[in-house]
Amino acid sequence: MKKKCLLFVLCIIAGTLTSHAQWSLGLEAGYNKNYLFTNSGFRAFTGYKPEEGFNIGIPVKYTLNDWFGVQADPQFIRKSNRIERSGFFEGVYQKNTNSYIQLPLMAHFTFGGHKLKGFFNLGGYAGYWTASHIKGTQLDVFGQPNVVPDDFQSKRYLDYIPGYNYDEQYNFDSRRDRRIELGVLAGTGVSYQLKPRYELFAEGRYYRALTDQQKNYMLSQIPRYNDTFVIQVGCMYRLGK
Amino acid sequence: MFRAAVCILIITTVTSCRKELPQINQPERYISGNFSEAFEAYWNGMNNNYIFWDIDPTNWDDVYKKYKPLFAQMNINDSTDVRKSYTYFKEMTSQLVDSHYALQINSKYVKDSATYISPSGIRHSKQPGYHGNINPNFFYSTIPPKYLDPGYVKGVLNFSDGSQFFAVAGKIKNNILYLHFNSFRLKTVYGSPTPNNAQKTLKYYFDQLQNTAGLKGIIMDVRSNGGGALADLDLLVGALTDKSYSIGATRSKGGMGRLDYTPWIDARVHPAKDAKAFTAPIVVLADLNSVSMAEMTTMALKALPAGNTTFVGERTWGGNGPLVGNDDFYNGGQFKTDFMSLVYTSTLMMRYKDGKIYEGLGFPPDVEVKYNKAALDAGIDPQLEKAISLIPQ
Repeated sequence: MKKKCLLFVLCIIAGTLTSHAQWSLGLEAGYNKNYLFTNSGFRAFTGYKPEEGFNIGIPVKYTLNDWFGVQADPQFIRKSNRIERSGFFEGVYQKNTNSYIQLPLMAHFTFGGHKLKGFFNLGGYAGYWTASHIKGTQLDVFGQPNVVPDDFQSKRYLDYIPGYNYDEQYNFDSRRDRRIELGVLAGTGVSYQLKPRYELFAEGRYYRALTDQQKNYMLSQIPRYNDTFVIQVGCMYRLGK
Repeated sequence: MFRAAVCILIITTVTSCRKELPQINQPERYISGNFSEAFEAYWNGMNNNYIFWDIDPTNWDDVYKKYKPLFAQMNINDSTDVRKSYTYFKEMTSQLVDSHYALQINSKYVKDSATYISPSGIRHSKQPGYHGNINPNFFYSTIPPKYLDPGYVKGVLNFSDGSQFFAVAGKIKNNILYLHFNSFRLKTVYGSPTPNNAQKTLKYYFDQLQNTAGLKGIIMDVRSNGGGALADLDLLVGALTDKSYSIGATRSKGGMGRLDYTPWIDARVHPAKDAKAFTAPIVVLADLNSVSMAEMTTMALKALPAGNTTFVGERTWGGNGPLVGNDDFYNGGQFKTDFMSLVYTSTLMMRYKDGKIYEGLGFPPDVEVKYNKAALDAGIDPQLEKAISLIPQ
């Protein structure tokens, strides 16, 4: 049964290749919000928060027929997050700005009218975590206490001893950090045929990492997965005749 | 049909490929109704709170695999098994690098055999050349009349918890300032609302430091000093510098993972009020029983911007990770379980300004002068004599 299904699909695709196949190349850019799917275990007053980022890519599309194509978007994307403390430790945080080079590969389904069309994308991606930047404030055990009156009361520990501020490149730990990320994606959007060869599009896309940001280096490890929600716009240029 | 198949495939993949998030409970929340729970609570506490996994030789996963089945076979209400557990805990912690580390088991069955398990203490006592603390009376009663000029000051202060602080200060050859004290409670004693001789001794030292013209040097004696309050660093070493300077860095846990750390945070000495830079030679005396704040003070003196400190004596103990009583502050460090009345462990990891971590290794002296029991028994202090000889007249 599986073989028959596969053969059927291949026949449909093959049948449309000669009459409709065409390449398109474009440029896209977007804004994203990245959530870390994890938890902070029994750490009190500590939580992971989403952070904003951006992406820029060069989409390449191979259209097989009027409703189906294959698309790849080599891109640079920031998938950031923040670990933040609350309560008496308010003001202590670390923002992790993570940069990835990513290659989404997806099936592109088109539907709708002649100029204005709807589409959705389904596929997977592979990414490489190229760099990470950390910025934050931590408690400083060697900090010089502020001079405060004896009856001074504050809601924040940092009012008693100033924190240590930092803004620096993160050095990857090869024992812990998994820099290859694999995942799946789904997106939907609209495109508009501006000129015969030019097409504008806007898309909302969701990237779901299926690989932990950490290698399996310890028992009872709490995994960390990126969940990235992207809104992006772009323009495609049709190549060939 | 094709679209539907793809959708089903994707949805199935998406929902099944992630690992589940484990529920990890706070060690204090476990009920030690049996040994499996007691071990689990302790193992998890260590797994997530211990600060030295980055450099520790212990394979904590192997500990789980080996001891979990052993504890599962034991009965927590059986005195023989409880004593056996003491042996197991001693074995599994024997190589932990944290020199502050100590386990206190909360059971009437082991109270008689030992109050706590201290892996570093056991290793320390087995090292070649080991000796116990220099007798406090040597500092208090032998050194002053033999080495200090007349007019020296000394005093003792007893605390309500049963501990005792003492300090000795004076001059040698009329131009070398000497200070010894047995623990770092300087700020408490110095600021004590009730006048006492220990306070008088510290006041003498700071007055002489600030007001004596032509001091040729200082000898800071932290031998056999078990440490104490970090806040004393700025009071004691901050009195020797007019500007803030770095002695190294510390880092704490940055998450639940063993290798989740904050970045290295600059560890600084801040100048005391009205302090002037002391540029004449400083000799710090420390020995293999100088630990924690005594080591940090030795490091801080060595790191003075003037570069005028020489460390004489023996390699220190090697326990210089700062401790905070509440593990919520730095998301790591000491904790309790139902079965352990205390798992005493460092909150932060420290590295010296040379980039090295001396935890478990000890800080090495510039001039090694070994402990000499016969000399001390005869009232002679070769380490102090060496220190004096290093300060030119």
